[in-house]
Amino acid sequence: MSLVVQELSLVRNGVPHLGGVSATFPRGQLTAVIGRTLAGKTTLLRVIAGLQAIDGGMLDLDGRPFGRLPAWKRDVAMVYQQFINYPHLSVFENVAFPLRKKRLARTEVERRVREVLSTVGLADFGKRRPSAISGGQQQRVALARALVREANILLLDEPLVNLDYKLREQLRDEFRSLFSTQEHSVVIFNTTDPAEAMMIADQIVVMHEGRIAQIGKPADVFEAPVSVAVAEIINDPPMNILAGRIDGDGLLLGEGLRLPAPPRLATLPRRAYRFGVRAGELAPADEAPLVGAVTFSEVSGSETTLHVAGEKGSVVLQLEGVFVMPPGTRIGVAIPADRLFVFEDDGEGRLISAPAAIGGS
Amino acid sequence: MDQPEFRFYKLSFLLPGLLGLLAVILFPLFFTVRVSLSGWSAVSPGLDFDGLANYRALVSDVRFWQSFERLAGMAVGTVLIQYILGFAMALLVWREIRYRRFFRVLFLVPMMTTPVIMSVIWRTILHESLGPANDFLGLFGLGPYPWLTDGSFAMASVMMVEVWQWTPFMFLLLLAGLISLPREPFLAAAIDGAGPVRTFFNVTFPLMAPVSIGAIIIRLIEASKIMDSVYVLTSGGPGTATETAGYYIYIRGLKDFEIGYAAALSVTYLVVMIVLLTVIAKLLVRTFVGRGT
Amino acid sequence: MMPRFYSALKYAAVLIWSAFVLAPFMWALTTSFKTANGVTGGPTYLPWIQYKPSLHGWESLFGGAGGIDIVQPYIDSIIVTVGASIISIVLGTLAAYGLSRFQYRAGFVKNSDIVFFFISQRIMPPIVLAIPFFLMLQFLGLLDTKTGLIIVYIALLLPIAVWIMVDFFDGVPRAVDEMAMLDGCTPFEAFFKVVLPNSLPGILVALMFCLIFGWNDFFFAFTLTFTDTQLLPVAIVALNSSVTPWWSLSASALISVAPLVLIAFFVERLLSRGTLAGAIR
Repeated sequence: MSLVVQELSLVRNGVPHLGGVSATFPRGQLTAVIGRTLAGKTTLLRVIAGLQAIDGGMLDLDGRPFGRLPAWKRDVAMVYQQFINYPHLSVFENVAFPLRKKRLARTEVERRVREVLSTVGLADFGKRRPSAISGGQQQRVALARALVREANILLLDEPLVNLDYKLREQLRDEFRSLFSTQEHSVVIFNTTDPAEAMMIADQIVVMHEGRIAQIGKPADVFEAPVSVAVAEIINDPPMNILAGRIDGDGLLLGEGLRLPAPPRLATLPRRAYRFGVRAGELAPADEAPLVGAVTFSEVSGSETTLHVAGEKGSVVLQLEGVFVMPPGTRIGVAIPADRLFVFEDDGEGRLISAPAAIGGS
Repeated sequence: MDQPEFRFYKLSFLLPGLLGLLAVILFPLFFTVRVSLSGWSAVSPGLDFDGLANYRALVSDVRFWQSFERLAGMAVGTVLIQYILGFAMALLVWREIRYRRFFRVLFLVPMMTTPVIMSVIWRTILHESLGPANDFLGLFGLGPYPWLTDGSFAMASVMMVEVWQWTPFMFLLLLAGLISLPREPFLAAAIDGAGPVRTFFNVTFPLMAPVSIGAIIIRLIEASKIMDSVYVLTSGGPGTATETAGYYIYIRGLKDFEIGYAAALSVTYLVVMIVLLTVIAKLLVRTFVGRGT
Repeated sequence: MMPRFYSALKYAAVLIWSAFVLAPFMWALTTSFKTANGVTGGPTYLPWIQYKPSLHGWESLFGGAGGIDIVQPYIDSIIVTVGASIISIVLGTLAAYGLSRFQYRAGFVKNSDIVFFFISQRIMPPIVLAIPFFLMLQFLGLLDTKTGLIIVYIALLLPIAVWIMVDFFDGVPRAVDEMAMLDGCTPFEAFFKVVLPNSLPGILVALMFCLIFGWNDFFFAFTLTFTDTQLLPVAIVALNSSVTPWWSLSASALISVAPLVLIAFFVERLLSRGTLAGAIR
């Protein structure tokens, strides 16, 4: 009981938007599709919805192909990044629209709309027009309209991206319970935010340049990203990637940054690699191999992100707590050698070795 | 939405309108071309084949080419005046004037009125002895002027009526453009301490360049058809002093019933109009955009 | 000192232009209450003081002596203008929606070329079409009929409707109609239930322009109808003979331009709200 897409391909004006995408999306589970902008996430959703033609590939639901059905016969619900509602209808009528289209009994429509509106916290807003409520509320209406149908497939295309930070966190926290009502639906959720994906998804699909780079459980993808690209996408800020090599004296990173080789890495062949380390696993230290100047710092919520440019390499740190570091401040950065990811030093950058999972999950 | 499932809907939206227009326009157009190759006239009605005889004749038809020059002069002249006046009026009622909504309505009114009907009224106004125009100028010791019976005056009269009739259209397009302009450049100019004149030339005018080009082209297209007002005010006269190309073709075709010849004139008129308007449009875009950057 | 001078100049300019705009209407209004005596004695302006007002001009429009019966032309004008405008809006709106949402391709012809074809019809001088229209309507047996004129006016008005509506639909987010389709609407239902209700301002603008250009046409009505059908402009211009009854002429002119002057109020409302800026470019 699942949605299966096989070898979806789409090239427009010589640009491959989808290059052979295959994946399975089980019913009753929430799959997060994560990737940078233009990775093909939106195109994938539009193809599933029937809003975009494909050059080749198969789509089927529970073993029945539906690639030739027009959009209006597919039973797919979708929520856009922009807060799209029908401007001429009240909130209540917006949510009732798909049900009325299905010619459900009036009492049934009323009941289901009221139920969904109270689920998304808009029970008292039924009579308002979408233009008379806030952006966050508008997106809740769009969400309600998608939820009320209990459609086979529910697609969400970065639904939180245009909300401000606080609303985004609030709505994200509600998502798990919102989707628990959709136990028979395939739910696909596009995002660029790893934290969002980790928190709400049962399965993660990482897309990169029109292809699927990795599919797996959130923790698996996070602990063992199959390539440099996935490692960058699945971490926010993106994982620090430094070129380097393993030789007789240990590890050599960036421009002459020496680290002792931990046991896990000492056995690897002595040659060039790319090393990755999460921004959150770097820490300021007085006695440190990497010293550099802060070029940019940013405080968001209770975390501080520091961009440090050193002679031996540039890295991004993410620290718990608020630190004020004016540009130019020189700090040392401790790099925990046992937390390094090792990738192949080629275009693909396949994962060779990952550190043990924190917390062992 | 380029999947095959959409094809039926795609065509259903476009085709009724497109085929309708093709049916109504294409037949007349091809027919005109065909007729222009015939010697169809009151004396020999019928669709014979006369080759390019009509075209050869029209090359040396001085009256036709003069009517063309006249039309070009009138169109360019009136559109320029309309642009200047329309822009001025749009600026005046754009902001900071009392009763601006009243004036906006008032300034729009002439374009809503039927050109021939208003021309009939203008004819009474410009009547040499019984009209108020000379009466009014007489207060200042001027006139009386032969508004419709002297060549130059008749030309000026037709142009004035055109300006009265169509400045509102220019005004409408330009005011709509002004209203949609962003506020920031004006704030910046105000902070720089620019006066109204400098603000106009450095900010308003460059920002309005695209709207200006559009408005001038639209008006030139419409003005290239000037005819109704001529018909009522002067009937092309005195002599041929106000005869425009359209009016001349009307006389040859529907009055003298030289259908074949009139068709050849029509085809020539259309081709010259398309060429001229395209060239003018390109030139306008180049000068305005050139100055804007 | 300077600002006050500028301000005075501004009001002066506005008032002078207002006077110029109003002059023909004022003159027509006062003339419409005159009799032959009031006209032939030279220009007069003030009723009772300068001439003895009479309702003769106005009465002559409704069957009174010495004028024209304006009722039938009025009805004909309304039928032809409204009929052609509505058909043009319907066809034009559908075509514009198609052009705004779908990709058309036939050989080297693309969407932009089709839009240009529609708009380019405005370049066509009426005289070029008059003779073939005449023969075409004669062939169809529609000469001197309202139906024939409606067909011709559609050719004039459809380009206006397409032009305004393509721009307007381009400004309505596609996501709205996509959403409707995902909610189970066919493209037709999406258009009628969702796009159309949200496009009323654009349709109103297009309709107004169609009405203006339809109502104000003279040349086609003049060349394609004679006795059975007579539209207002033709009927009024027919009065413009050597012995012109200025009073009837003025009254009929005022009464025939009156309905469209009301449109000026609507246009101004849309203009001041900024709706027009999107609709006209």
